[in-house]
Amino acid sequence: MIALLGLIVGIVLGVLLEPSIPAWVQPYLPIAIVAAMDALFGGLRAFLEGTFTDRVFVVSFLSNVVIAALIVWIGDQIGVGSQLSTGVVVVLGIRIFTNAAAIRRQVFRA
Amino acid sequence: MPEEERRTPRPRSRFRQSGVLTRRAQRRRERAELDPELDRSSDDDETLAALRGGTGRTDTKIDWGRLLRPGAGQVIVAVILAFFAMAVVMQIRVSTQDETYASLRRSDLVQMLDSLTQETRRLEMELSELERTRDELVSGQDSERVAREQAQKRLTTMQILAGTVPAEGPGVVIRISDPEGKVGVDVVLNAIGEMRDAGAEVIEFNDSIRLVTSSWIAQGPDSLLIDGKPLTTPIKMEVIGDPHALEEGARFRGGLVSEITSPRVGGHVTVTRSERIEITALHEPRENQYAEPVR
Repeated sequence: MIALLGLIVGIVLGVLLEPSIPAWVQPYLPIAIVAAMDALFGGLRAFLEGTFTDRVFVVSFLSNVVIAALIVWIGDQIGVGSQLSTGVVVVLGIRIFTNAAAIRRQVFRA
Repeated sequence: MPEEERRTPRPRSRFRQSGVLTRRAQRRRERAELDPELDRSSDDDETLAALRGGTGRTDTKIDWGRLLRPGAGQVIVAVILAFFAMAVVMQIRVSTQDETYASLRRSDLVQMLDSLTQETRRLEMELSELERTRDELVSGQDSERVAREQAQKRLTTMQILAGTVPAEGPGVVIRISDPEGKVGVDVVLNAIGEMRDAGAEVIEFNDSIRLVTSSWIAQGPDSLLIDGKPLTTPIKMEVIGDPHALEEGARFRGGLVSEITSPRVGGHVTVTRSERIEITALHEPRENQYAEPVR
């Protein structure tokens, strides 16, 4: 419940404060968001399966975000940034779909 | 721990056969605890679901009570979610603000700039080419216009010279009375020569005979003939040119006037200057039978 509240508060803050993204974060924020979505879906799945631990969730969320951004940053440094970001998005997308399938099975039993 | 050793090398089917499902589920839960979003292959899930079968979901127990009871972990999750939502909102705003360029990578931007520069160069080349074509067309039009004007001028000159168009302008009118009929071919030829010498441009006799380059004068049976037409007396000679020069050309001592008024001819001459003389007699040009322009 508090988690949902946090989500809403975050949206409201983002809309109201209109924070500007630092320039060095801008290219990596989309990838970080996709990684965060992956972590969220994984957390939701774990929650539905009864295996949710907030410590694991926090660590996996942060590490997902950081690693995704890091991969893309390294890719940028060595000149394959766009390709690597595509790859990261593909992998994370597959994981999100897998987690979504597990959640679907848990929720709809189908 | 022997169980740990056995886990990896042993194939999965052995687990199922040996009926250690509960232990496997237990382990699975441990693993899931460490990494909640661990990738599990879908067939694994399928077999699990199948094995669970009608016994119900013993290993999935949602702690709804914990959800309603806020703890430190929940708060952390909430904070993370808040950050996540904020990031999403920021990103959405950025990508809707300037959808194309702000989030692009440097290499993409460089590539885009390159292609834009190339496009610009190509368009500039096209522009200069078109401008050159336009200049050529304009100057061509100009020179054509000048040529046409000059041709028109030449045509007018030629037409006046050939006597095919009426002409008007300042000049003199010379009337010659010849009571004794002694004005001959030589006198008229002299008069014409003197007028031309004084700058005559158009000469007409008796309002009907236009003098042109091919005109001829001969002594007819009754009177003089110019181009085959009889020249009746008194002779009226209209000349277009500088009136002063023409009059002087007619009046100088030993010239036209003194020749006609001399006792040998015994005629009478009046020379009248006029600011506007209209010559309407035309000469019908014959087509050249032999002469052709040299090409």
